[in-house]
Amino acid sequence: MKLSRLSLAAIGAGLFIGMSIAPARAQDVPVVAAAADLHFALSEVAKAFSTETQREVRLAFGSSGNFYRQIEQGGPYQMFLSADEQLVFDLAAKALTIDDGALYAVGRLVIVAPHGSPLKIDGRMAGLKQALAGGEIKKFAIANPEHAPYGRRAEEALRHAGLWGKIENRLVLGENASQAAQFALSGGAQGGIIPYSLVLAPSVAKRGTFALIPEEWHAPLRQRMTLLKGAGETARAFYAYMQSVRARAIMRRYGFVLPGEMS
Amino acid sequence: MAKTAPPTGLSVRFKQPRPIALDLAFSVAPGEILALVGPSGSGKSTTLRAIAGLYAPANGSILCNGTVWFDSRLRVDLPARARRVGMVFQSYALFPHLTALENVMEALGDLPAGERCDRARALLSGMHLDGLEERKPAALSGGQQQRVAVARALARRPSVLLLDEPFSAVDRVTRRRLRRELIELRRELSMPVILVTHDLDDVIRLADRMCLLSGGKILQTGSVEEVMARPANATVAELLDLVYEEARPAANARRG
Amino acid sequence: MDWEALWLSLRLGGLTVLLLIPLAIAFGRFLALRSFFGRAVAEAVVALPLVLPPTVLGFYLLVAFGSDSWIGRTYDRFIGQPLVFSFEGLLLASIIVNVPFAVQPIQRAFESIPADLRDAAATCGMSWWRMLHRIELPLAWPGILTGMVLTFAHTLGEFGVVLMVGGNIPGETRTVAIAIYDRVQAFDDQAAGRMAALLLLVSLVAIALSYALSQRIGRRHG
Repeated sequence: MKLSRLSLAAIGAGLFIGMSIAPARAQDVPVVAAAADLHFALSEVAKAFSTETQREVRLAFGSSGNFYRQIEQGGPYQMFLSADEQLVFDLAAKALTIDDGALYAVGRLVIVAPHGSPLKIDGRMAGLKQALAGGEIKKFAIANPEHAPYGRRAEEALRHAGLWGKIENRLVLGENASQAAQFALSGGAQGGIIPYSLVLAPSVAKRGTFALIPEEWHAPLRQRMTLLKGAGETARAFYAYMQSVRARAIMRRYGFVLPGEMS
Repeated sequence: MAKTAPPTGLSVRFKQPRPIALDLAFSVAPGEILALVGPSGSGKSTTLRAIAGLYAPANGSILCNGTVWFDSRLRVDLPARARRVGMVFQSYALFPHLTALENVMEALGDLPAGERCDRARALLSGMHLDGLEERKPAALSGGQQQRVAVARALARRPSVLLLDEPFSAVDRVTRRRLRRELIELRRELSMPVILVTHDLDDVIRLADRMCLLSGGKILQTGSVEEVMARPANATVAELLDLVYEEARPAANARRG
Repeated sequence: MDWEALWLSLRLGGLTVLLLIPLAIAFGRFLALRSFFGRAVAEAVVALPLVLPPTVLGFYLLVAFGSDSWIGRTYDRFIGQPLVFSFEGLLLASIIVNVPFAVQPIQRAFESIPADLRDAAATCGMSWWRMLHRIELPLAWPGILTGMVLTFAHTLGEFGVVLMVGGNIPGETRTVAIAIYDRVQAFDDQAAGRMAALLLLVSLVAIALSYALSQRIGRRHG
């Protein structure tokens, strides 16, 4: 009993010492807050960035509204890529950013349905209208309009199509645009409205069919990024890299175009 | 711990209305065995615990060999470990995870480490427990456990030895054997001994004097023969009678 | 398999145990030995995290040490960064949330020590400290070990509180439980499945261990 007690104490002490060592905070590996629709696109950009510059960034994906709140409360992010540029302007007004940031993309919405769903997909939502009338839509997924820009635009598009009233109580709300996509395509719902950038990823595209929703049906998804106060060198380098030719090419492949750019 | 004055024994006085009524006073001389007898609920165990320092009565005093152990007026209350008591509990209260030897050694904290082991062995040997030192209590019979408990109680060279129904947990045969051993042991005991029991047989065989307790009050006190032969009143006689029938053969044996 | 998240979870679990268990021993012993007015209330407060929804816990923790709170602001002033969304904040939340898992088995272990053993220790002349480490701790040890195991396993699985107080910050507060959630959202079911299986295994081992240990307590005093 005594020997095992001693060895237990030794393990305990060793663990304590090992665990007390602070994690990568000592190194300059900044955490970048990014809207959920950037999931696949930004991961690729980050990989290219680290290959070219030997520097690393950590990506945290979520809803822009949530990140806004966290940054207000001092969350440890050095860069923020929002799906709604107004949030960046609001943060700048609160002096939490180093400047007004830069527009990095205008996003698009798509309507999707998983394979086997009774919903027929088309951009002008005629199929959705029909399916609703026939009572075939039990659940329809969008991001939460309260704090996800893609959710708000989805609501706008549905209102424009005159379908909001009928579909409102059948909605499944995703925490963020990624979760909305997950709900829409995993079979639990008959379909949904999610970011275009997500369905351009192969792992998502193969799960169903999609069609672009006309841009005029909702306010533009002007996506803005900014460096936050206290951003270090790596974050600044990444911010610059986002505007480089290489990064722009990756973003374009995921449907993110800047006004005036060729897609 | 030099004691220049000759030991004067134990003198006890308790008075409290609740939670357990107590209103008694008695003394025990060095080397004398006093039996506290009475039905359950009469306050005998409480009295014993109070002497040990495990319970503080509302009013009273305890004087042992000239030292004040407890005095409610002077607000003195020595904790149990500061009083040199040896106590044998009804359940023996042996530490279940320690061997017999280790159990006794725990009471020898005053001694330097080297001596502790030897003295503990000697004590166990004195209780006829040779060869059983490394056994844990679960591997000992009831009678053996009781003897370890006694060895442990004596280890500190206590100023008072307290025995709380020490034979109640064993069968009749073992009880008689243990009683005989205790009778032998008492020759070497120079301190006051208090024996709490509800068995008159124990009283007749072991004790010099007895106190009959009921409802926290002493109904009669005196030498065993006195109390047995001349009960003070009907209540006493009744209480004695309850167990006298059982003990009659033993009583005759003692006289004869 | 997100190794960084796994390491984070192990660190969080290990440090929670290391910091919480000594406190739980002291408090569990106190609750076991003393009956005082309001003891039932104290025990109810200890048990609260068991019944409260994690979001309620998370909400009150945010109120208590979010950046609007006195604690949060003081911490920020001295350390230079906020308590929420940091590993340290998560550790604090984890300690609070795990109180019942640590205190209850330890309290029960101390309660199961017969009272007359302590009396015997006192009449043997043992000091309080000697009685604690020679008699009480060895006898309560199976319960203490149970508390450690349950706390560790529960910390690994904690989700709601971690998400609210920690966010989902890779390398800082993204534990395995959060990482699973994260991977599912990224349509990476394989990685999610691997990590989920690992957590399932850890939970099973923890339950089995704690059952085996409580049988030991029973045998010792039975």
